[in-house]
Amino acid sequence: MAKYTIKRLLMAIITLLIVASITFALMNSIPGSPWLSEKTPSQATIDALNEKYGLDQPGIVQLGKYLGNLVQGDMGVSLKMQKNRPVTDIIREMFPLSAKIGFFAILWAIIVGIPLGCLAAYHRGKWVDSVLRVICTIGISMPSFVVASLLLSTFAGKNEALRVFPTIFDASLGFRTYVLPCFALGFYPMCYVARQTRSSMLDALGQDYIKTARAKGLKSGPIIFKHALRNALIPVITYLGPQIAFVFCGGFVVETVFSIPGLGRYFIQSIINRDYPLIMGTTIFLAAFIILMNFLVDVLYKVVDPRIQLEKGDN
Amino acid sequence: MADMKNNRIKHNIVCTQPDIENLLELTPEDFASATEEQKESFIQDRESISYWKDAWRRLKSNRVSMVALGVIIFLILFAFVGPSVMPYGYDQFNKGAENLYPWHYSLEDGEKLAEAQGSAEMRLELAFEEAAKEKGSDLTSIEKAKIKAQVNTSGLDEGKLRKELGIHKKLFGYSKSELLRKADGEKIFPHIFGTDKYGRDILVRTMIGTRVSMLVGLFAALLVLIIGAIYGSISGYAGGKVDAVMMRIVELIYSIPEMLVVLLLATALNQPLKDYMNSGVGGLRNFVGVLGPNLISMFVAFALLYWVTMARIIRGQILQLKEQEFVTAAKALGAKNSRIIKRHLLPNCIGQIVVTTCLQIPSAIFLESFLSYLGVGVSAPLTSLGSMASDALGGVQTYSYRLVIPAIILSVLILSFNLFGDGLRDALDPRLKK
Repeated sequence: MAKYTIKRLLMAIITLLIVASITFALMNSIPGSPWLSEKTPSQATIDALNEKYGLDQPGIVQLGKYLGNLVQGDMGVSLKMQKNRPVTDIIREMFPLSAKIGFFAILWAIIVGIPLGCLAAYHRGKWVDSVLRVICTIGISMPSFVVASLLLSTFAGKNEALRVFPTIFDASLGFRTYVLPCFALGFYPMCYVARQTRSSMLDALGQDYIKTARAKGLKSGPIIFKHALRNALIPVITYLGPQIAFVFCGGFVVETVFSIPGLGRYFIQSIINRDYPLIMGTTIFLAAFIILMNFLVDVLYKVVDPRIQLEKGDN
Repeated sequence: MADMKNNRIKHNIVCTQPDIENLLELTPEDFASATEEQKESFIQDRESISYWKDAWRRLKSNRVSMVALGVIIFLILFAFVGPSVMPYGYDQFNKGAENLYPWHYSLEDGEKLAEAQGSAEMRLELAFEEAAKEKGSDLTSIEKAKIKAQVNTSGLDEGKLRKELGIHKKLFGYSKSELLRKADGEKIFPHIFGTDKYGRDILVRTMIGTRVSMLVGLFAALLVLIIGAIYGSISGYAGGKVDAVMMRIVELIYSIPEMLVVLLLATALNQPLKDYMNSGVGGLRNFVGVLGPNLISMFVAFALLYWVTMARIIRGQILQLKEQEFVTAAKALGAKNSRIIKRHLLPNCIGQIVVTTCLQIPSAIFLESFLSYLGVGVSAPLTSLGSMASDALGGVQTYSYRLVIPAIILSVLILSFNLFGDGLRDALDPRLKK
């Protein structure tokens, strides 16, 4: 386990380094600069600003300095969006909201998706199965912004009776304001989880140990949830790792639609504004988060299926 | 004749089971060339069924994927033939036809409606004035709202008014001047889906948007196919250390948060491509010009990050195939490695390749709409389904059809590609079917 963790950690560091370099190169190749706004400052001002924030140095030097600071937990200061505020501060303020919405979205995807998948597998070929299959296939064909904006047009439409949930995010409204964003964000993973659960459940239900359990006289409930589901969950968990990443990035769109002041929306604005340290900071932070989630999912694997040996996990 | 018969029987015996005694009794007649009749008896009754024919037969029996294929063909016609049939351009401002709904009222009905609406407004204004006189000062907005609730304002609500006057909506959008011209006997093509705030026909814009989405999907899938197939087959065929290193790289790319990088990449590639297009040199300039720098930067971004799945799948296939005898035979005959990969290995995993490519298309369309929705995708006046939906977000309360139409077409497009891809997988690889 220790060897495996160290190996993963090394991989994670290399990945982060690469992500940082790619981001740095890409963001510097985007034309424009953070200093351009409605009134273009004079060349002297631009030069002075560039010197102050170290933008006048060659790219490699900038990147090296940035990485050096990053190791010490310093991500620099915002150049434009919230001038001179440390990037770590901004992330600390923005991320909890994104994480909250992402968490609830994934939660409902799992809580609803897995039982639906079991239900469909148990009633294979009956109408329940067909209805669920249609819903889930449609669900994985709708980008999250389509779901979000359709919800928006329904709940913000002319019909007064339907205006139950606010369509513009307002933290003071409590849980009601989270309903629509979380639903929109979790709908795609929910459908995917249900599909995956169904197919792996069908696999599991056809195994001999299920026959044994039935022959023993166990009821359907324990058979499905104790014997079949535990084995069927493994492919579902495999999928959840990248899916958590998807939810946090799909969060961009949902945050834009519902005007949620989260990290995703901020990231896009920072690209538009060429706020270099903020782009770097959010990218690296999200990348680190995603890598961490993938690692946790791999560990979770072992909990569900003790036969899996992580050290030999290479396919 | 009898001799012939005898000969034939003998021949048949030789064919079915080689009998030593018979073999030893060879007569010169046995070496005579076969007669027509004999030749015919060797022709098989059934035509041989090739891999593709077999797959097509299986695919045809799958009703869902045939419907999906039909929808895809319809959407292709819609996107590529449609705009040239329509009398409106996708970036043409139709003056006087701004903000049309996908329905209209006939001229008389429209006048009635306007009149009634006007009188209701008048009633409201009068009530306001009276109240203001009584109070002796201007009204606050709360007081105004109270009066509005008391006075009969059903005339302000179009839906209620329509019911009162017994007016019905008519299909398709026409502007008032167009209706007048139509009344004069001129032939006018309606705005079937209405128009946007600049008076651009939404149907044509939807067609162009679908075309953009499809192009991105197809080109991105093609690029993914090329990169993934080459990388995967080299990695799988070489094996050993080369394979280990190449797969490490794949793993690295796997763990990069792709959405973030694609967003950055699409933004970053845009300007250099524009410069290249305007520079006036280079053979690919026309190609870039036709598709537009935005589109190209998008599918390059897609291809650079999404080939890893394809590479993994092909590597897995090649690893299995390369141990088989036909590869050994080819090697023994002195075939070069590149020839073995091209001629012997890749054709054997064609099923997997086709299916994976086909399933890449919807995910590319997904990503394109996502980027366009965030405003990083195609730029005006060109449009895509994603950017149409994002434009419509502002006026979603009044003009919800502008959001719903592209959203539905996008979903149908992705859905039919998904279903068709699933069907194709079942057809090309029946072993996978459960």
